Amino acid sequence: MKELMRIEGLKVYFGGLKAIDGLDLTINQEETLGIIGPNGAGKTTLFNAICGVYKPTDGKITLKGQEVQGLPAHEMARKGIARTFQISKPLADLSILDNVIAAAGVHEYTGMRSYFRKSHTPEVVAKAEAVLEETGLRELRDKKASDVSLGYLRRLEIARVLVTDPELIMLDEPCAGLSNFAINEVTELVMKLKAQKKSIVLIEHNLPITMKVCDRIMVLSYGKKIAEGTPEVVKNDKQVIEAYLGEEDEE
Amino acid sequence: MGAYVYSIGATAAIFILLALSLNIITGYAGQAMMGHAAFFGLGAYTAAILTQTYGVNFFVALLLSMLVTGACGALLGLISLRLQADFLAITTIGINFVMVALFNNLSITGGSLGLTIVKPTLFGVKMGNRQFFWLTLILIVVLCLLIVKMRRSWFGMALASINNDAGAARSFGIDVSRYQILTFIIGTAIAGLAGGIYSHRMGYICSSDFAFVISIQILSMVVIGGIGTIRGPILGALLLTFLPEVLRFADDYRSLVYGALLVLMVRFMPSGLIGDNSPLVIGCKKLTGKLFAKKGGQKA
Repeated sequence: MKELMRIEGLKVYFGGLKAIDGLDLTINQEETLGIIGPNGAGKTTLFNAICGVYKPTDGKITLKGQEVQGLPAHEMARKGIARTFQISKPLADLSILDNVIAAAGVHEYTGMRSYFRKSHTPEVVAKAEAVLEETGLRELRDKKASDVSLGYLRRLEIARVLVTDPELIMLDEPCAGLSNFAINEVTELVMKLKAQKKSIVLIEHNLPITMKVCDRIMVLSYGKKIAEGTPEVVKNDKQVIEAYLGEEDEE
Repeated sequence: MGAYVYSIGATAAIFILLALSLNIITGYAGQAMMGHAAFFGLGAYTAAILTQTYGVNFFVALLLSMLVTGACGALLGLISLRLQADFLAITTIGINFVMVALFNNLSITGGSLGLTIVKPTLFGVKMGNRQFFWLTLILIVVLCLLIVKMRRSWFGMALASINNDAGAARSFGIDVSRYQILTFIIGTAIAGLAGGIYSHRMGYICSSDFAFVISIQILSMVVIGGIGTIRGPILGALLLTFLPEVLRFADDYRSLVYGALLVLMVRFMPSGLIGDNSPLVIGCKKLTGKLFAKKGGQKA
């Protein structure tokens, strides 16, 4: 598989706290990479560092050979890194359709020049509607985002990601807080994206889903990589079992 | 129309401009601005000094006052990037007090005596309330058209996104800082324009014309009418300009009334009288929906 992103010696420190401590990772094109680890392992911090929310303390991130570490979040989005959030961030006052259209303008937000370009052109609306169809939200297009359930909001976030035609899709716990039915729906959607050969990075606490969906899994613990490999390899890794279940008491 | 109607109409028109300009900052971009009168005053004094001291043409002075207030708005925009909403509100209140103190103490602004301004001429005719009314009305129409265009553009979409969730907005390519600064520039520049018109229409200005209570008055207009809409601030400005004329006997309690109205509106009707989610607008939408449904049913 062709390399899409390379992370070398990434460090994200908050004062004395080493949230990410010297991480090396490669993300390949058309691959679904899972990132797992116990609470506080640094998974979302890694996401935020890749997406430009946090500036790395040290290290290098290259996207298709181009150095991108330290770029602000909006620039990372324009470079094709699209993400969802652990706690959904809908544009609550806008309709579902407008939420997707807002994301469709990823290359249009250029300060005062954006004043002269209309947002709801037939092409943009058609593109947004196609994504709503794909994510199963077409029926809700005119509903306000504040009026739909969490399951739909998770799908809305995926719809907002897809409409940007991203190079890399980053999903931060898309199944968190959902009912079993909604989890199945979101999982099916992620499987569909995988079948379309999209490049995906997935953080998910639900291990059976991660094992099912991902081609490769990286395990983080206290900001360091403790294991990496296929789901089968990771599942049987001693260090991973220890990180999740704790060490066996010698007494 | 009579002279009195033109007089009060010109005042209302200036406040509509102010309310619409504040609505761009607070209503569309969601920035807490509680010192709008500072920029109104800055525009008023800038235009007055330019025409009276330097003999600049009135309309050129209006443009220059927009530039000056817009530049100061950009500075405030830069400050706003480092402040959360509540601290920004407090900062803008502080700016209002500082500006009033400056107007009151600088010799160029006439100190506590204020400034007397000779009314400008338009096509050889000295401008009175009538001319100021029509001039401001034209500017309101132009501004409303520009706001409508803004709301249909990617610029408007960026502001709506930032207003809802800045973090989400960043995640799809919106440079939140740049848009925040731009809205401060636009909103304060229009306040400066309103100030320039105000000073030349009144013929005399002093620091108390731009006190904190005026900022609250402008904010009340936006909130009472319906924040985030065009019609809301217009209705709010009309109501709060004409009501004091009717309730002159309660003039001493004006600040109290504005404060009470603001608190009551925020508590019981946060969308304002005719905001998008106000009971009145929702009721009207339902009623028109039913009427159309009925008509459709009859056709069928």
